Amino acid sequence: MNKYLTIFNVTIKEYFAYRLSFVLWRFRTLINLIVIFFFWFAVSAKYTNFAGYSQPALLSYILYASLISDFVIGTRLGDIAAEINNGNIINIILKPIGFFNYYFARDLADKFINIVFSFGEILIVAYIARISLSTPQNLILFVLFFLCGLMISYYMNLIIAFLGFWTTESWAPRFIFTILISLLSGNFFPLDMLPKTLYQIALLTPIPYLFFLPTKIILGRIDNYLILEAMMAFFWLLISRSIAHFIWKKGNKSFSFWGR
Amino acid sequence: MINKNKIKRNWKIFWLFSKFALKTTFQTRWGVAFFIGGKLMRFFFLLGFLFLVFSKTKSLYGYSFQEAAIFFMTFNLIDNAAQFLFREVYRFRPLITSGGFDLVLIKPYHPFLRILLGGVDYMDLLTLVLYLLITLYFAFQLPYLSFINLLLYLLLLTNGLIIATAFHVIVLALGILITSVDHTIMIYRDITSIGRFPLDIYREPIRFVFTFVFPIALMMNLPAQVLIGKFNWELVVVAIVFAFGLLGFSMLLWKKAVKHYQSWGG
Repeated sequence: MNKYLTIFNVTIKEYFAYRLSFVLWRFRTLINLIVIFFFWFAVSAKYTNFAGYSQPALLSYILYASLISDFVIGTRLGDIAAEINNGNIINIILKPIGFFNYYFARDLADKFINIVFSFGEILIVAYIARISLSTPQNLILFVLFFLCGLMISYYMNLIIAFLGFWTTESWAPRFIFTILISLLSGNFFPLDMLPKTLYQIALLTPIPYLFFLPTKIILGRIDNYLILEAMMAFFWLLISRSIAHFIWKKGNKSFSFWGR
Repeated sequence: MINKNKIKRNWKIFWLFSKFALKTTFQTRWGVAFFIGGKLMRFFFLLGFLFLVFSKTKSLYGYSFQEAAIFFMTFNLIDNAAQFLFREVYRFRPLITSGGFDLVLIKPYHPFLRILLGGVDYMDLLTLVLYLLITLYFAFQLPYLSFINLLLYLLLLTNGLIIATAFHVIVLALGILITSVDHTIMIYRDITSIGRFPLDIYREPIRFVFTFVFPIALMMNLPAQVLIGKFNWELVVVAIVFAFGLLGFSMLLWKKAVKHYQSWGG
């Protein structure tokens, strides 16, 4: 356990070695949040109820979703494909540490440092907009869905990264993946604003389970399909985990670890 | 006095780099397909998002769906044209940290031919044509479109591209001055993304910052306001003066950066 704690600490120190770069990265995140937050601020201003959301509920959704997505989506796994391509991955495999645990510790450090800053940013935005955020609800249920989303995101990122075993162009599927996540996971609007059929189709995919459903639950907007949604979240967790492990084994067998 | 031979020679070099860029692009065919697919997916999703918003409300701060779509398309046109022309800027930092920039500086042509215009992105050309057609579709749905407005729109699109050029030159200069930051160009992209929607919908001080500090309103919004006929002439003059002022400033910053450049790593 101590060795993973060390990896966690070292990853955090890496961020502080490039302080300006990190601060500007957070500035980018803040700009993106401001764009979408004040867009909805303007749109919902004239309505007491906009697509089933009051203005405070809608704006609370945007801020909570931003906070939760920073933790769930933030990742260092994008580095893996490059490590495979340049052969550096052998340095990690040869060490007496679990590959999956090593990257999970790095990922957690990334998420931890991002959420600390993200928390400050949403408080600033809420203060500028003079809105009162909804009180968090259903905390136990939230934690369950949140952990599922976190692990699904981790395994999906691993699957994309492992494509590096077979191609040097794994940036391309990652580009598509990032776009899909940024658009369809509920960053721009609550997915239940979609027409009902589209929303139900979206629920069949793993993307709403990353942070849309955890956000919805913490805001107290539980619908009648909660058990089904919990089953789907667990199903996607198992599937993504199995695929990631399968691809890892296949990749190890087919890869010649050139370059070192 | 303009030296015709020099222009001809620079055009030839630009053409040569563009041919190489095309060959490089088609070396990664799957990458091309995924990249274009991803860009189109993002574009149609955001257009769909606008449609979704207008399915719940009749106007957005007084703008109809067609008018809001013109703002969105104008943003896409300028943003995409800049990516098409200046893709090489995204690859500038490794050139600095590896010392490869030395090899650019010793060549007998202006370094901008290589580091600013040297990597024309043909994938963006395809989407640019599509965006142009969709913009025309929305423009011809406006009930009050005039030939003058259309001409002025084209002029201000060019003006927006001049501002974009200045920003890219500033990014190049910062790439030399601040080597510890590796995503300056993405900061520019994020800041300009506020121009997807009319800036009128944002409250102060956001509107002030994105009109006068980062001139996104002049760059992305003003051409759309001209096309839909909701603009004032003073702002058009301010935008043109501002664009050339910013371009001048970016060139000065570039010269200062090159003076500070220390060849390292190569």
